[in-house]
Formats: sequence, C-alpha cells, structure tokens
Amino acid sequence: MTAAEVADEIRRYLAGATGRPELLTVPASTPLFGRGVGLDSLTGTLLLRQIRERYGVDVAAEDLNLDSLASLASLAAFVAERVGASGASGASGGSGAS
Amino acid sequence: MTALVKCVVWDLDQTLLDGVYTESAVPPPPDPLLAGVLADLGSRGILHAIASKNPPSAAAHAARATGCAFAAAECGWGRKSEAVTRIAASLGLGLDALAFVDDDPYERAEVELALPQVLVLSPEDAADAGGWPEFRPPVVTAEARRRAELYAQRRRRQDSEREFAGPKEDFRRWAGTRISLGYAGPADLPRLHELAVRTHQLNSGEPPGSGAAAPGTGQWFLAALAAPGQDEITVRLRDRFGDDGLVGGCVTARDPAGAVTVRLLVMSCRAMGRGVVDALLAWLVRSAAREGARQLRVPCVISDRNVPLRLALTGAGFRADGFRADGGGTAGSTATFSREVTGPLPALPEGTSAPGEAGPGEAGPGAA
Repeated sequence: MTAAEVADEIRRYLAGATGRPELLTVPASTPLFGRGVGLDSLTGTLLLRQIRERYGVDVAAEDLNLDSLASLASLAAFVAERVGASGASGASGGSGAS
Repeated sequence: MTALVKCVVWDLDQTLLDGVYTESAVPPPPDPLLAGVLADLGSRGILHAIASKNPPSAAAHAARATGCAFAAAECGWGRKSEAVTRIAASLGLGLDALAFVDDDPYERAEVELALPQVLVLSPEDAADAGGWPEFRPPVVTAEARRRAELYAQRRRRQDSEREFAGPKEDFRRWAGTRISLGYAGPADLPRLHELAVRTHQLNSGEPPGSGAAAPGTGQWFLAALAAPGQDEITVRLRDRFGDDGLVGGCVTARDPAGAVTVRLLVMSCRAMGRGVVDALLAWLVRSAAREGARQLRVPCVISDRNVPLRLALTGAGFRADGFRADGGGTAGSTATFSREVTGPLPALPEGTSAPGEAGPGEAGPGAA
C-alpha cells in the first residue's frame, strides 16, 4: 500500500467523520492541526483509532510528539512505511514533512 | 442521581482472563486479582457482565472459571460501545450505572467517547476500584449530582451538531458557546479533585494516590491556592443547551528562570471537541507572555489513556524534549511538553473570557 493510497483513505475518513466533503480533495501537504484540517483532541483521537483499526498502526505509541500528524502527507507516509514493512509495496507519493 | 456503579462490564482476553482465549491450547485461567474484585463487588450487590470479541464459549468458560453468574454476556466482533449499550438495555439500567473494564486502550477510548456516561477503567484501575466512591455510596459534587441532566443536554447538543451544516466553529458560535477562565476559590476544590480522579483523557497527571499531599488531592489543590508564585485556574463552559459548570482547571507555578510550569491540568472528557482545552492552552501561553515568561512547560504522564491531551498539546505548538521517538514505545513515563511564549501569540477561541483578556467577543456575529 502506497502513501498516496493511505492519504486517500484518510481523506475519505476525515470527510466522513467531520461532515466536510471539501476534505476529499485537500492537498497532501495540508496541515492536520490548525488552519488545515482543524484536527482537535476529539477528532484526532477518532482518527488515530481508525488508523489503528484499519492498518494496525498505533501512531500515539510510536510517536511521542505526534510529528507524524504534521500533515496529511506525513501521516500517510508514517502509516505506509509500517504497513509496507509487513509485506506490501513500499511507501511513495507522500512528500513527508520534516 | 448517584454515580453508583450497578453493573461492571468486563472484557475477557488479558483482562478477566489471564491470556487470550482463542490463542490458548487450554482456556486461560481467570486473572487472580480481578477474580477477587469480581467476588468482592458481587458481595456488595453489584452485577457483572461480559463484552468480549470472542465466541460465546469464552463467556461460558469465564463463568465456570470464576464461579460468577454473569447477568449478561455479549460476544461478537462489533464495537464494544454497542455491546455495552445492549447490556444496559437488557438489564434495564442507565448507562451511568455501568462501568467497563478493558485492557485495550483503544476499546476504552471507543467506549469513553461513544458512551461518556459509562465509567471506563483499565484492569489496574479495576483492581482497586472497590475503594472508589462509584462502588460505594458516593460523596458527590453539584456537577456530579447533575450528571444525568448534563448528559441529556449533551444528547440534544450532539443531535443539533449533526444536523448543522458547516464547520465546527460555526456550530459553536451558533450554540453560543461561552468558555470562562478564572482563578479558583475554595469552593472549587472538591470539583477539581473530582476531575483529577475521574478524568483520564485530558489529564496531565496520574490519578491522585492515597497520600494527602499528592498532586490532585483536595489538600494539594488547597495548598496550591495559598502558595506564592502559583496560580490555580478554573474553566467553566456553557452554551444555549445548558451550563456544564466547572469542566476543568490547572495549577501553574512560575520560576525565577522565566518559565511557567503547569503542575497539573485536568479537563472533563464531556468538554472534548468543544474547544475548551484549546482555550485553556492558548490563554496559558498568552498569560505567561504577559508575565514576562519565556517558556511554558507541561510535564505530562505518557499513557495510552491521555492521547487526547497530547493531541491538544501538539496542536497548540508544544513539543516534548529529550524523548526518543524511535518506535521503542512511549508509555509509562513522563515527558515535558514545552512551548516558547515569544513571537506571535495564539488567539483565544471566540466566546472565551479570561483574566487579563478583553471581553468574550461580544461583537461576534451570531452572539445570542
């Protein structure tokens, strides 16, 4: 699974969970906090739960600072790397944030 | 209304059972400590039930192995919150009469978010829950006595929010959300202590221990009120649906080196998703800047349960120092999140009033 595919699934999840269809088409570089997606403690928790259920990746346990939540791209790359490590094709497509 | 627990809903794998049912050649034995809790609570007339992602034979095994007659059992692969809801309905109990015990932090978060009325516990919590007021005739604060009413308001708010088209900020504005920060007084201390005990998701500390002076106890909050160089902040929340009262607070301490440290921050999970923790963090940054501090620090226990607080801190620009994010696991330790308070300051959410700040955006569009 590529980072681009993960990013698309995250877009669909966020659009559904927040009722904001415009999130379906946001660029991968969009920040998840603040002015970008506007993630807060509640929607962030729901997103991390969804990622854990969908990909088996526990972001909060591996990433103290939650750097992976800097942008849609960085989160998708973080997830794809770990999913890829267990068999599927490697990560690509995300312009991972610093 | 009391917060008395009348039924405890138990997970099986690695909670009530000392192992994983489907992965064990021989069905795993009960956890000895929790089997004792089961019997102890049972003797006080508290019911037990099972919510397990296992075949029904696992529930039958648990009943045999513990000798406990479970009042209800839900075995299946759906959401635990749905299993808990069905159990409450089948027993004719309100959700606020239920506790839920699971070793999996995500299952706990799922139930806590979907069913905030339910008291959600880890196995460690459950092991000493017998001493908690929820399992004995409780001493309850005004907020706790009003819990049922507050949850009814919450349901009405959520229904409206679902029907409301537009961003969350617009809904909060329409709902007339008012967040009031202030300095705590003695009358606030029982509620602050209760929040320190009851809240898990937005709590920077551990549940207060038995030592009277431990952070989060009533005495600790009382001492902080009088301590020079320390401030005790309360957060209140209301909107057109109702008044949630005191939903959170924190204790801060200034040091001569120019840092403000948040010794403890607690916030009701009922307030989650309503901009309240964000308002508190933004105000703390602004207030520290007004006092001439350079840095705001939030020492925070890293646990699987307070991930929402870490999300709020990260979203507010805080960083944890000196911690390896190398995938080696982060649970069970303390990290200090910090943020420089120089440079552009965060804005307070609309409808927030706080010491040292202009009024709560009375000119805001749609203010009721």
